[in-house]
This record gives sequence, structure tokens and C-alpha cells, in this order.
Amino acid sequence: MKLSNKTLLAFSWISLLLIVTATAFFTYQMKTYSRMETDLDEYMPKDHPAFIYSDEAEELFNIKDGILIAVENPEGIYNTSTLQKIKDISIGLQDMDEFDDADIVSLYTADNITGSEEGLDVRAFYKKSPKDEAALEELQTSVRSNDMVYKRLVSENENIALVVASMNDDVFSMEFYHRILEFAKSYEGPEKIHIAGVPIVEGTMAYLGPADMKRMVPIVLLVIIAVLYFVMRSVKNTVLTLLVVGLSTVWAFGLMAFLRIPVYAVSTMMPVMLIAIGVADGIHLYSHLNLHLKANPKISKFNAVKDMVSSMWKPVVMTSVTTAVGFVSLLTSDVYPIKYFGLFTAFGVMAAMFFSLVLIPSGIIIFGVSTPKIKEEKADKEEKTKFSHRFARSVIKHKYAVVGVTAVIIIVSALGINNIWINSSFLDKFEKDSDIVQTDTFINQNFGGTNTINVVLESKEADAFKTPEYLRLIDELQTGVEGLDIVGNSFSLSDYLKRMNKVMNADDPEFDRIPESKDLVAQYLLLYEMSGDPENLWKVVDYNYNKANVNFQIKSDNSKEINKVMSEIEKYRECFENNGITLNYAGSGYKALVFTDLILIGQIKSLFMSILIVIILIAMMFKSITAGLIGSVPIVITAVISFGLMGLLDIPLSTTTALISSIAVGIGIDYAIHFIERFKIYAQETKDLDLTVVKTMHHSGRAISFNAVVVIAGFLVLLSSVFPPNRSLGALVSLNMFTSFIGTVTIMFLILYRSGLFFKNKKGGLK
Amino acid sequence: MKFINITLISALAFIGLFTSLKAEEMTGKTIMEKVYYNPSGEDTQGELTMSLINSKGDTRVRKLMQYTKDDGKTEKKIMFFLSPADVRGTSFMNWSYTDGRDDDQWIYLPALKRVKRISSDSKGDYFMGSDFTYDDLGDRHPDDDEHKLLRTEKIGEYECFVVESVPKDEDYMYSKTITWVMKDNYLGLKREFYDDRDKLLKVLNIKKFENISGFWTILETEMHNVQKDHRTQMLFDEVKINNGIPESKFTERTMTVGK
Repeated sequence: MKLSNKTLLAFSWISLLLIVTATAFFTYQMKTYSRMETDLDEYMPKDHPAFIYSDEAEELFNIKDGILIAVENPEGIYNTSTLQKIKDISIGLQDMDEFDDADIVSLYTADNITGSEEGLDVRAFYKKSPKDEAALEELQTSVRSNDMVYKRLVSENENIALVVASMNDDVFSMEFYHRILEFAKSYEGPEKIHIAGVPIVEGTMAYLGPADMKRMVPIVLLVIIAVLYFVMRSVKNTVLTLLVVGLSTVWAFGLMAFLRIPVYAVSTMMPVMLIAIGVADGIHLYSHLNLHLKANPKISKFNAVKDMVSSMWKPVVMTSVTTAVGFVSLLTSDVYPIKYFGLFTAFGVMAAMFFSLVLIPSGIIIFGVSTPKIKEEKADKEEKTKFSHRFARSVIKHKYAVVGVTAVIIIVSALGINNIWINSSFLDKFEKDSDIVQTDTFINQNFGGTNTINVVLESKEADAFKTPEYLRLIDELQTGVEGLDIVGNSFSLSDYLKRMNKVMNADDPEFDRIPESKDLVAQYLLLYEMSGDPENLWKVVDYNYNKANVNFQIKSDNSKEINKVMSEIEKYRECFENNGITLNYAGSGYKALVFTDLILIGQIKSLFMSILIVIILIAMMFKSITAGLIGSVPIVITAVISFGLMGLLDIPLSTTTALISSIAVGIGIDYAIHFIERFKIYAQETKDLDLTVVKTMHHSGRAISFNAVVVIAGFLVLLSSVFPPNRSLGALVSLNMFTSFIGTVTIMFLILYRSGLFFKNKKGGLK
Repeated sequence: MKFINITLISALAFIGLFTSLKAEEMTGKTIMEKVYYNPSGEDTQGELTMSLINSKGDTRVRKLMQYTKDDGKTEKKIMFFLSPADVRGTSFMNWSYTDGRDDDQWIYLPALKRVKRISSDSKGDYFMGSDFTYDDLGDRHPDDDEHKLLRTEKIGEYECFVVESVPKDEDYMYSKTITWVMKDNYLGLKREFYDDRDKLLKVLNIKKFENISGFWTILETEMHNVQKDHRTQMLFDEVKINNGIPESKFTERTMTVGK
């Protein structure tokens, strides 16, 4: 490089100015157009057959998630003021813009259909809260004898009543979440009010996760700054390295905002990735600079920068490009937020590369070289040199031990991978003793269940579900599946017909069964349309009576449990299919299950693909397939251990934990490339394997360890988070950093050493 | 549940006096009173075809024969289902009283071979899964609302008064209705219903009306729930007014033997 110092200085100022301008632009974009997307439906691939089917069924049968407000009075609910409260809550919810009147179901809104010898009676359980004992008792009796209400809206012990408010995901907002919590709370005392249901769980998660992150991130950053300062021993260097991370994050989010792409929950993982990956370049650059300065104390800052850039640009570009490509491989995912996550993290990584190669050198030129504590550095230089040398030698000396330990760890992890399971549960993300889990358990103990699975039956014949035979089959399905402990109760067209049959036969329990003839079914249904609320009917059957919805209430959203229920349902598939009836699933719980599978399959697909791409890229960079294979070692080890440990510790895979495997790729490559590149340089410089390994360990090994220490220290802070998913995030990122680091400096180092790569004759070596 | 008032004539409360008016001082209230006090025949009979159409265009069609008789104190009505086949022969009878007593209602299901009395307290409910509530089908007394003449306007070839009616009862299911009343026959031609949040909920359009035996009679009408995009079309056929339907038509025994 034959640039004059003056030109360099001018160039530095111009780049700085341009970066500031661009950053201002992206900051403006971010401030103006960033928008958080919390509707989980928006995450799902709209064109996936399972989702298309489920969405259609949801619309057809008005399948929505329910917010459950439970009013508990230990003295029993049959008193004037508690019943008044149930009425007030029901009306209050009906008055909210988010709900239609029909969305609210409670003892107050329900119809009580009863039968006698001469007739049929349809009326509200109560309109004005009953004042005298006799009326209260009468109400109690009528609830007990109506199993459409008893144990569904009033608990068996008669201490709790439920108000269910069904709502669409798309009207759910953070503002609404707080408003409904406030609303429920305002009815507290003397009755206890509990609020639960899928929207509340999702809302709490959407609220708690970021809120906890907001609290934790400053601490994480502070720790990273402190440790960064500790390893760099320079304020300037620390600041510039942090700027690389910070600006790349701003640019990535800024570009997203500029392209009007909303911020999804997974996007919040971007800064995590960029912190873990972005500090690496700075650390390697400064590490090189410091070593160079120590070797040449008299050098000018211009020449020092020139040397730094000329000898480090290659590994920086190589690591960044491979990391970016690794993230770009997420484009193969079916899930848009994940595609965007991959794409914009890749952009962030490239931005970080640009800052590392432009901002850091410019910063050094403008603000000067930071040479603090040179004396101190010099004093412990010997020792440090010795340590990295000693370490390198001992790894080589104990090569069998290293290989053996690695093999054992890999085998154990591989066994662990077999145990891995996927959990799409939201509730399992909370602490067992948290309010939300306890409320959920409480409601599940007293009522049917806080979660639902919908089975959609479909026949080609019109009026199929007026056929008693099919209705009986549905009834059998319900009885069978309700046999599982986890299934609280179920609901279908059959229930309406059994009830109508009983009521029209003077409430004789003998007639609590499906009517015998198709005409009678049709006539009961007509009667129900006229006397009950036909809107209710369209929740279980369609207009032409050839599609039916069977609703199962489940006491857990855990994927293992949902799968258990589904495999019980599957037992009936053949019966239905023999009658030309297809069986499918619908509803948010089912979609979450499919969705999680999709994410994971995509994640694993992209993991394999990115490993393959990385091998090819590294092979091309070093013009050696061996180098490519060696370079993949840290990634593979990191990924295997990461998944293996999750299996062993029974940590289920979820969307977040699966995404962290991307970090394994991003960081694993960085370490490997820096290390191999240094190894190559020293190999060509010294032509001596012994010298090459110790020097490489001193140069790259040191920088890698700094990098690992900085990020691990930062993310370990998350272990003190109150939100379990954030804790596992911290633990897994730290673990991945650690295994990548150890894998690089031990087993990969050893393989590199044994391969004799970059040495023409393989004879040189340590004794 | 009420089967009341689904008379061809009074049902829609739109029959007007056949007096031609000079442009005398008309207020919202006087217009709506003229609509309300339209004479209807003593008895009416006809075939009703009711089509329910959902947002996807799925349609369910029901045909029924309907007889009504009104002696000024009691309005009696009986309906027999003609189709679909599986409900053929099902019949309903409704007696409603001007003195404020609850309606009496009966149902006969041929598959059950029994007449049952039905009692119900849900007046706001929709009639047979249609977009009409029982209230929409009945005559709403003009004193129940505050009326305001908004403007006059032409719909097609008809010059109309446009009257806004706001219920005095704040808890009523509609926050207001706006009715287009034809100037020359005091028959409502169109009505908009607004929900309790003041948003347009339903639009009623009269598509065909005729003067039968001296009474203005609505023959074809459509109610469109714009929020759910659900429609109900009602078509009246073979309408006969003051045909002398005997009192004996409206008995439990008639219900079991069919029309």
C-alpha cells in the first residue's frame, strides 16, 4: 500500500463522516418505521397445507382462543354479589370493542334449555342477580342439572365461575393485554379473580421476555465492556470494538425498517448474534496490532494500521463472508421471520466486517494508537507467551487424551441427541411457581382445560352430519378421548342433539343419546336454530352439515401431551374414513405444534447446509479440501454438544433454543478460519511446524480466548434473568462459545498439527 | 324465541297509508306513525321462501306456508315447513297479545309426533338463523324511539323521507336505525341498523312490493348483515289477503295434520 499518511488521514475522516451519516439515516428509519409484530399467526407460512386447512376451519367454525376469567368465592358463587360480579364482568367484556356479544360465554350469557312433559323452556339462568334464598337455590339446582354449563362454566365445588371471552389473535395487542389484566383486577375482592388462557399466556410472554431483556441487556453490555476493557486494556479500543457491534446492529435493524419489515420475536436474537460474532473482528485486529506494536515499539500509527489491515483483512473478510453465508442458508426455512432473521443477521455481519476494516483503522488513525500499560504488558508478556506455548505443547503431548475425551463427549452427546424433543408449549417457558402457571393449573383443576384441539370431520355428502350413525361415531370419539386424564371435556354437534333429545323427552336421562332417525335430527336442529342461538351451532357444524368440528379441552399445552391426545384421536381415523369422512386438525395449539416442527426441520436443514457451504468456502479459501474439513470441526462439535446436552438435560427444543445453533456455525467458523489462516502464515514464514503451532496458539489462540471470555462473561449474566427462556439463551450461548473455543484450540488444533497442512514435507514436527 | 309477527304485511312494519299528501309539515315522528298505522288485512296467507346465504355464497333454502290472523287483540300465526324434505311437516304456532302478555308458542315435530309448548325470554335473538331478529320482524311502536327527519332523497324512482330513529331505551340492541320511507305510499323502502357501537350492522332492502286487495304488501326483501357478510332473502308468493281464514286453523290439532 503506497498511500501517504495525509491521504490516509483524509480517507479516515471521510469514512467516519459517511458512517455517521449512514448511521443517522438508519437510526431515523428505525425510529420511524420499526414495528413489533406480536401476532403469532403472522409468523406462520400461509401457504403450508396444514395452515391453509386450519385457517379455513377456524374461519368456518369461528375457532378462537379463549381468555378465561375465573371468579372464585370460597363461600360459593351462589350469592347476590358474586353473581352480580359475573354479570358485570360479562357485560364489561361485551362492551369492549375487541369482542362481539356472542364471544362472551358465562353463566350470565348462557341459555338454559330445559324440558318438561308439555314443553320446552329456553331462558337465561338469571337476568338480575337473584336476591332471595329461594331464587338462589333455584339457580343452583338448574345449573346442576345442565351439563352444558355445570363443570364447564361453574366448577364442581360451586366455588368458581368462569367467564370465557373468545378472541382473534389479530386484535390482541400489548395495550389490550394490559387493559384486560387491569379490567379483571378491578373486580378483585372479596372474590378472587384469576385470568388465564392462551392469549394471556402469549401476551405475558411477549411482555415479560422483552421486559426482562430490557433489564438484563444493560448489565450484559456492562459486563462485556468491563471484560473487553480487561482484555484490551484500552478505553479507545474497547469503545471502537463496541461501536462495531452497536453500529452493525443499528444498520441491520435500520435496513429492516427501511424495507418496512416488522420486528419479529426472533429478530430480537439478532443483537445476540451480532454481539457474539461482532466483537471477534475487533479483538483479532487489536490483538494483532498489540503484538505487532510490542515487536516494533517505534513504528508510526500509520504503518501500524497498514500492517494490521494488510495482514488481517483476509481472515476478517473470510470469517465474515462464511458466517454471513451460514446465516443466509436460513433462507431455506419455510418461516418468514426466520428467513428475515438469517438475511438481516448476515447483513449485520457484513456491516460488522466493514466497520472492522474501516472504522477501526480510521479510528486508530484519527484518535491515535492506544499504547497503555506497555510496561505492564511487557512484564507479563513472557509469561503469556509461555502459557500459550505450554498449552500448545501439552495438547500435542496429550493428544490421545484429547482425542479420547473428545470422542467420549461426542458419543455421549450423540446419545443425548436421541432424547431430544420438541416443545411448542408457551406455558413451559415460565417458572413452575409463577402466577401464570399457577393460575393455569388452578383453572385446569376445576374446569375442562385452558387449551383446545379441534378435530375437523368432513364428508362429501351434504347433510352427512344429520346421520345418527356418524353422530354416534363422533360421540364414541369424544368418550374415548375424554378417557385421557389430560382431556377435560369435549364438545360437538352430538352434545347438542343429545341435549335436545333429552329436553324434548321431558328431561328423561334415558334420552340423553343421539336420536334414532335422520329426520328427527334435522327437526331438532331446526328447533335449536329457532329456540337457541344458531351462532352456537355454526361453531360445531357447517351450513351444509357435511363438515363438523369436535372441540377437545386439554389441560396442558405441552407438545408431548398434545401428541398423546392426537394419537388417541388417530385411533378413530379409520372408522371415519371407512364412512368416507376425512379427519383433520385445526386451531392454534395444533398450528403451534406444526409450526415448531417446521422451524426445527428448517433449522436442522440449514445447519447441515451451512456446514456443507462452510466446508466448501474454507476449502476454496485455502485451496485445500482438508482445510475445509478441518475448519468444520469446531462447528460440528459445538452443534453436537449443544443439541446433545439439551437432550441429556431434558431441555426441549423450541424456536429460540434451535436458533442458537446458528451461533455455533457463526462462531465456530470464525475461530477455525482465524486459526487456520494464522497457521498458514506462520507455516509459510517459519517453515517449521513446531514454531508454527506455538506461534499460532499465541496469536490466534489468545485472541480466540479473549473473544470467548468476553462473550461468555456477558451472556452468563442472563443466568440471573427471571424469565426462563432468557436464562437458557444465556446458558446456551455461553456453552456454544465455550465449546467452539475449546474445540478449536484442542481437537481442531491437533488435527491441523497432524495433517501437516501447509507444509510441503510432513517431516517437521515436535518430538 | 318468537315466531311472532312474521306476517307478510305487518312483519316489516312498512305499510303506509295510501293517502297522498300535500307537502304539509312532516316530522320524523308523524312519518313513522303513518308507517306504523298502516292498515293490514285481517288475515293473510302465503308461501314464504327464505334463503340464507353466508359470506362464501353457501345457500340454504327453506320453504314454508304461513297463515296469520289478527283480531286487534291477538295475532295468531301458524307456519308449516314444506322443504327441505327432512323437516317437511314441522309446524310452529305463535299467539301474540297486544296487552303485553308473553307470547304463546307451540312446535310440532313430525318425527317426534308430539306438540310441545315453548317458552322463551330471548327477544333479541335471530329468527331461524336468519339476519332478522324477532324484533326486526315485529312492529316497533313509534313511541319507543325519538325520530328525526334528516332529509328527503330519491332511491331509484322513489322519492323518500329519510328518518333517523334513536331508541329511548339505551340498552336496546341498536343504537339507531335510519329508514327511507316512500313519500307516496308510506312504505319503508330501505333501513339501516346500527349496532351498540354506532357501526353499521345491517341493511334491509325492499326489492318488490305490490298492492294486493288494497293493501300495500312487501313481496321480496333482503337483509344484509354487513359485518358478517351474511344475507337473508325472503320471497312471498301466492299471497292472499282477507281470504277468511277460519279461527280453527290456529289449533294444536291443525299443527299435527299439516296445512
